[in-house]
Amino acid sequence: MDKQNAIEVKDMSKSFKIQHDTAKGLKEKLLFWNRGTVEYHEVLKHISLNIKKGETVALIGTNGSGKSTLLKLMTKIYYPTSGTLETNGKLTSLLELGAGFHTEFTGRENIYFNASIFGLTRADIDKRIDEIIEFSELGDFINSPVRTYSSGMFMRLAFSVAINVDADILLIDEILAVGDQHFQDKCYAKLEELKKEGKTIVIVTHSLDVVKEMCTRAIWIYNGELKMDGEPSLVVDAYLKQIAEDHKNKSKKVSKDIELKADLFIDEPDQYEVVDSTQDSLLLRGWCVTNDDESVLKVSLDGKEVEEIERHPRGDVYAVYYEMYDGMLNADILGWKKNVMMSNLEKGIHKVVVSCWCEDGRCLASKEQTFTIE
Amino acid sequence: MNVFSDIYKYRELLKTNIKKDIRGKYKGSFLGILWSFLTPLLQVLVYWIVFPYLLGRAGTEDNYLCYLVTGIIPWTFFTSAVTLGTICIKNNKGIIKKVYFPRSILPISVCLSTLVNFFISCTIVLIFCIGTGAGISYHLILLPIIAFTQLILTLGIVFILSAINVYVQDIEFAVQFIINMGFYATPILYSMSLLPEGNILTTLISLNPITVLVNAYRDIFLYHAWPDPMGLLYVLVLSFVVLIIGYLIFGKLEKGFAEQF
Repeated sequence: MDKQNAIEVKDMSKSFKIQHDTAKGLKEKLLFWNRGTVEYHEVLKHISLNIKKGETVALIGTNGSGKSTLLKLMTKIYYPTSGTLETNGKLTSLLELGAGFHTEFTGRENIYFNASIFGLTRADIDKRIDEIIEFSELGDFINSPVRTYSSGMFMRLAFSVAINVDADILLIDEILAVGDQHFQDKCYAKLEELKKEGKTIVIVTHSLDVVKEMCTRAIWIYNGELKMDGEPSLVVDAYLKQIAEDHKNKSKKVSKDIELKADLFIDEPDQYEVVDSTQDSLLLRGWCVTNDDESVLKVSLDGKEVEEIERHPRGDVYAVYYEMYDGMLNADILGWKKNVMMSNLEKGIHKVVVSCWCEDGRCLASKEQTFTIE
Repeated sequence: MNVFSDIYKYRELLKTNIKKDIRGKYKGSFLGILWSFLTPLLQVLVYWIVFPYLLGRAGTEDNYLCYLVTGIIPWTFFTSAVTLGTICIKNNKGIIKKVYFPRSILPISVCLSTLVNFFISCTIVLIFCIGTGAGISYHLILLPIIAFTQLILTLGIVFILSAINVYVQDIEFAVQFIINMGFYATPILYSMSLLPEGNILTTLISLNPITVLVNAYRDIFLYHAWPDPMGLLYVLVLSFVVLIIGYLIFGKLEKGFAEQF
């Protein structure tokens, strides 16, 4: 393989056996050897790609598209059905954390267990152990049995070991949602540091912001095929478009079965907020997501309906809800806002009600908030 | 060789695994690691009390207590390695699905940890040898060689069984039965001299590699004699053949382990 490449995949396919009527035992295998049709499900189809040393690559795709399988193939947990996959350099996978942890043993002992699975020797671990303990922020807990840890502490310890293993290639699968914001920031900082050191990083993630910020390249796997490969922001855009389209097509077919639902929120004014009456106008603002294209959003202030509500794009809301709503959302009209002239409002307590109504007159969601003008 | 360099690279994993196998198994129990001696010891006690009554003739061996101990301890080494080894891949499916490491580490560490247990148990055998008046002699220098032969044989068997058990789970139940049967196909409770000569069963029992090994252990512990070199050589060759076949089977099947779980 090329010296420049960290990972080389050539025309690789991977199929999994699907057995209906699984014959697991010997008796079944002997008696019903001809029963149970064996079908193969091709998860990855003719993938060819090269990842150069020092690249930070994101693998994106919907659930079940095969990106995690690809990562597992790179780790050598699975082996290709056809084609080849070669890696060059020491490889660590952060596929699932805490592999090989033994809860009866202390955190310190588990560092040795866990790091040894990654192929480190005792001397290697001794050199890094202080760094690992410091990174995990476990303090004195490191000498307590792991079973006494909270889940957050467990994950922090596991992540600290995995990330401090001195590998040339890091494979990361959707695990950066570890711990609180502070720890996450630290993880990203560590990844940036590794990136600068020239390590090759491959990330599978649904967090598209991470893709755009961190990665130098994005690879989009669509139904087991390599659909697009290139500049992260371009790939992400194409990917989002495809998701929206797919889900619209899908939902049109089964639209009758879909339960209509909505979620909405009032960003401004806040509940029980006290608003200064000297302002010219009062901004009412929020968002509403729904899977019913025909639905109507109504905003009322003190029982009177507010007309001419402006709709505007809300990327942040879209990112959170697009999967929950099967990608049926139109990102450009999620937000709503309306400026109400202050002169029309009296001092005192006011109530805003926002509701989303579907065609047959049912209320899908509603929210009300009170605020005071002084 | 690829195999050896792989295992060398992951030697720390091998070490921690062995440690976990030995210490982790009894963690939380009162007597802890003592159980690994206590179990065969109690077994010896039961046979020692029961068998001379049941099978008057079988229990007439001189120093029957020591005879039992020198048979049961090596037998326990074999059976615990095979039973634990058969399920070692299945029991570790959690990490097999998550991380890459040479899968052969798992059966190897099971066999090595039972070997360590066996060597510790050998002190019990020595205590019995001295305690019952049989004494000890310089013939014991052969102990590592006999134990090594047994290790090779068990490792080969464990390679085969653990890999197949992932695909056909009946293996672990069949193994239980075969081990029970093997207990009687090995002269542990009785002595070879009690068997009628020329019988097919007798021939089978004498061809049983464990028979050769158990007899060799008895020679060096109890009888202070050199074991039959041809017998040992036969077992050693057989063990290496089993090991090579076992490793080939394991290597063929290991790629599919993660998909089976």
